[in-house]
Amino acid sequence: MSILSFGNSERLFWLGRYSERVYTGIRSFLGRSGTWSSSAEKTCFDDGNNESLYCSLIFAYDNAIVLRDEIGSDTFSYIQMAVYEMNSAKKSPAPLLHLQKVNDNIAAFWGMADDIISDENVRGIIKLGKRIERVDLYARNNAGNDEIRREVRRLTYRIAKTGLHYSRETLEGLNKLAEAESIDRPEIIRKVESLIKFS
Amino acid sequence: MTVTEEELCRHSDSVNEQLARYGVRFGIYRNGEFHEQLFPFDVIPRVIGHEEFSCLERGLKQRVSALNEFLKDIYSERKIISDGVVAEEFIYSGSGYLAQCDGVSPPKGIYAHISGIDLVQGKNGSWYVLEDNLRIPSGASYPMIARELCMRSIPSEFEGNMAEDNRDYPELLRRTMDFVNTGGHSVILTPGRLNAAYFEHSYFAERTGARLVTCDDLTVENDKLYFIDYSGRKEKVGAVYRRISDEYIDPVNFNRASLIGIPHIFDIYRKGNVALINAPGNGAADDKGIYYFVPRMIKYYLDEEPILQNAPTYLPYYEGDMKYVLENFDSLVIKDVAEAGGYGVVFGNKLSSQEKDNFKSMLKAEPRRFIAQEVIDFRDIDIYEEGRRVPRKADFRAFVLMSDEPVVWKSGLTRFSRNPDSFIVNSSQGGGFKDTWVISK
Repeated sequence: MSILSFGNSERLFWLGRYSERVYTGIRSFLGRSGTWSSSAEKTCFDDGNNESLYCSLIFAYDNAIVLRDEIGSDTFSYIQMAVYEMNSAKKSPAPLLHLQKVNDNIAAFWGMADDIISDENVRGIIKLGKRIERVDLYARNNAGNDEIRREVRRLTYRIAKTGLHYSRETLEGLNKLAEAESIDRPEIIRKVESLIKFS
Repeated sequence: MTVTEEELCRHSDSVNEQLARYGVRFGIYRNGEFHEQLFPFDVIPRVIGHEEFSCLERGLKQRVSALNEFLKDIYSERKIISDGVVAEEFIYSGSGYLAQCDGVSPPKGIYAHISGIDLVQGKNGSWYVLEDNLRIPSGASYPMIARELCMRSIPSEFEGNMAEDNRDYPELLRRTMDFVNTGGHSVILTPGRLNAAYFEHSYFAERTGARLVTCDDLTVENDKLYFIDYSGRKEKVGAVYRRISDEYIDPVNFNRASLIGIPHIFDIYRKGNVALINAPGNGAADDKGIYYFVPRMIKYYLDEEPILQNAPTYLPYYEGDMKYVLENFDSLVIKDVAEAGGYGVVFGNKLSSQEKDNFKSMLKAEPRRFIAQEVIDFRDIDIYEEGRRVPRKADFRAFVLMSDEPVVWKSGLTRFSRNPDSFIVNSSQGGGFKDTWVISK
């Protein structure tokens, strides 16, 4: 196990979160092809809006570029290529084709990270960020209850493999909420967002 | 099978695409704003023959050994001054000299661990040293990764070409760090992402296995340097390859306003508890004014004739040289000793009459501030531009790494001007780079 700085643990976490945010966001557009609109354009490409997919990808890149020594140049390169594709998508008359390639690169990034990063904690923190973001997004975006339950289970399995400090009580509460017959989504969001504190 | 010119040209785009894929960039500040840009790569390598490089290698080892002796001397016995070989003013008034380093002996006596020596080749084939860069010379990462990506993009170019493999730089760097390590981890200290050479810092960390750190990751406690990991565990650090200038490395001992340094790191360096690579204060030997004296240093310390020659240089500080510079102003290039990166360089013949008069007045008022050199009409080398070969000015930065002995990396950074009328090759001024092949036999 190598040594990992506090700053890099936080960056790895956010790299996982932002990459997931872009991936799930693009999937939602790909799932309803033919409905591209000016509002979709804004959600994807507005570089003045921190909530846009473009900004989320840039935030992922900003974290990845300072993690080259942790994740390796080959793994990093997929985030870099995702940025190039996002820029192409912005200018293209067929943006979804490029957005699909953005997601191809993000998927390749995750696969590469899983395959070649030897430090279990480094791998685990990226995946934890991804899992937390996914629970959050699914709860916000009306995903089915079974999908939320599955993601909470995956998050619970992952969190112990990171070496990060987390609230066991919050995690138990999250699991209880997910297993309830009627899921309290705002409470799921509140709990998952407070699971890991870096400050 | 050898690759044809057309193929090479066609592959140029694919290599540059690969460089973009891996985020091979450098940073530049323009109007106070930071911009990152790709470093244009030209696919035609500079090729240096075996015999020619062997001569360069001997000369570079000799030069860096003498510079290291000089640093050892000026921070201890100062014999070179008392013997009248180097004028005192050029040492103690230079920006690179640090009074705090007086009497401090770095681990294993090494001051110049990684040196970047800039050379040019004249039209007659002779090599001239233009500058010694001892503080934080950068650039080795670019030809190293370019080689890797060229081998991927144009494998046929490398079949049987006998070029030395330059991808051993991380091993040489690691050996340099390990040799002086006082016990513990080796780390690379970066000021952060907004540094012009951040790509290089992170790439070297990846390739050497040394941890890339910023000041927030390190702390001095009980006269030792520690890395603090994310669980709060402290790990001892024995060698710091710092990519931060002397004045910013320790706010307690140097610039108090520095936010990128580590308080008290210089104190424990002084006690021999950590190695700093390169050694603080070594800029005293790469001052453009000191450059003039290097051939004398070689004779003085090593009792040898210099193998590599300086470009003919004049110090306006000396009366005779001042007279020569004023009389031959149009044929000289004048350099401000405090500047780097291609800045502060003035070609006499490019100034208007009024500008010349103003510059000469400044020269007389501040003679220590400038050196003057004959303009070497250095050999052009070809680059591909819009599908055709065109000649451009280029220099060559050789890297010398010091551990138990000086080792010259069998490659180097060849930088070229993209402007056909310019001698300025610096990346910060729009220049590009090439790989450098050293033929093995």
